[in-house]
Amino acid sequence: MSIEDILSSRGRVRILKILTDIGELNISEIARRAGLNYTTTNQHLQALENAGLIRHKKFGRIRIFRFDEESPRARMIMKLIESWDANK
Amino acid sequence: MASLSERRYFSVFKDESKLDINYVPSSLPHREQQLNFLNHFFRFAVEGPGKMAQRVLITGKIGTGKTVLSQRFGINIMREAQEKGINLHYVHINCRECKGSPFQILQRTILEFYPHFPRRGYSAEDLLKMLMEILDEQNAYLILAMDELDALIRSAGSDPIYSLTRVQEGRLGAPQRLSLLCILRQPEHLDLLDPSTRSTLQRNLIQLEEYSASQLRDILSDRIALAFRSGTVSEETLGFVADSAASDGGDARYAIELLWRAGKYADASESSTVLPEHVRKAAVSIYPVVRKDMISSLGLHEKLFLLGVARHLKQTGNAYLSMGDAEEAYGVICEEHDEKRRGHTQLWKYVKELTALGIVETEISSVGKRGKTTLISLPKVPAIDLERELSAMLHAKKR
Repeated sequence: MSIEDILSSRGRVRILKILTDIGELNISEIARRAGLNYTTTNQHLQALENAGLIRHKKFGRIRIFRFDEESPRARMIMKLIESWDANK
Repeated sequence: MASLSERRYFSVFKDESKLDINYVPSSLPHREQQLNFLNHFFRFAVEGPGKMAQRVLITGKIGTGKTVLSQRFGINIMREAQEKGINLHYVHINCRECKGSPFQILQRTILEFYPHFPRRGYSAEDLLKMLMEILDEQNAYLILAMDELDALIRSAGSDPIYSLTRVQEGRLGAPQRLSLLCILRQPEHLDLLDPSTRSTLQRNLIQLEEYSASQLRDILSDRIALAFRSGTVSEETLGFVADSAASDGGDARYAIELLWRAGKYADASESSTVLPEHVRKAAVSIYPVVRKDMISSLGLHEKLFLLGVARHLKQTGNAYLSMGDAEEAYGVICEEHDEKRRGHTQLWKYVKELTALGIVETEISSVGKRGKTTLISLPKVPAIDLERELSAMLHAKKR
């Protein structure tokens, strides 16, 4: 997935911002905070995971998402969001 | 001007937070042995974690140090584990705050690991499974302290505790990650558990006895050193607080609260020291033990005697007065009220009765005084209030 694809979606950027902010979160809570419905959120998360930016852990029925800190791209995006918000 | 504002803002407290109910002191006087027991029971957690899981039960009445003991142990063992690079968590959950709900207990436990874990949507069984998965995932070990377990047993019976003790059995070969530290006020509640759970818990039992007056004294003087400016609490006040709390069931929590409130009263009356009178005021604000109807049911001479005691204590500002002083004060009151005074033996009976009612407390004088005399104190009501009450009552009767 190209960077245009990732950053051209409002929903995806919002999700990335939330994960930068909170760290780890489950789908319903991400959806609630982003103001998106569950299905859309799930699709965005899938896309971001396929792009290698985030990963998830599973406990029973619950999936918890977070940035993949081992990926340099993910770290750079986190940094971008942090410094963007800090210079508001 | 400076002296005025200085006086206004003077407080007997140095650090009030040290008297807070949630404060965990670094040393626990008279609970060292029990702390050692706990360390011994959970030794494996820092030496060979995962090889076994432990269940320990602490019982004791209110204010005997159950909570503070387990919290101190938790802080110590976590520090030790950290030094050894073991991912050990001690989580302290108050079952009463969770309304005895197994769901809430497990959920609060999980929130310690994942602060944003969804707050609903899962059953207690789901949560227990998830908790074990989280522990596996983080390679963590957990000592779950369940305080006020009475609440859980009462509301949910023995099932939740059973499943907590048995969760390891479905995980053959996997490391044992969950240990339990149960804290119970009334051991009778154990009878509601099924026999196998009960026997596992009873095997490792730590029973806490009520504190004696001298033990309370040690606890209080530790706290006074931390919380009060030096020289603001006299030995006499300290002994008085300790004695009051000891006769109230050896409740250290009550003793500490009494001390704190007495300090508040001292501040409010702009006193530079905490006096026994402040302690009496504090006691009455905690427990309105001396009720008006109790006083009005006393006989005339019992009232006169009590009035003498109250007035003497108010005038001298002491915590105790001797039987001799009490009789003298009573004599003066009798003159005032035109009554013929009763003899020593009768007064002695009054003292016994008043003690039985809990209005006064007596103690035999000891070292440092010549001879033996009974010391009388008013532990739970300010002498001023008692005097006002009695005077009004006697005055009304005369008219």
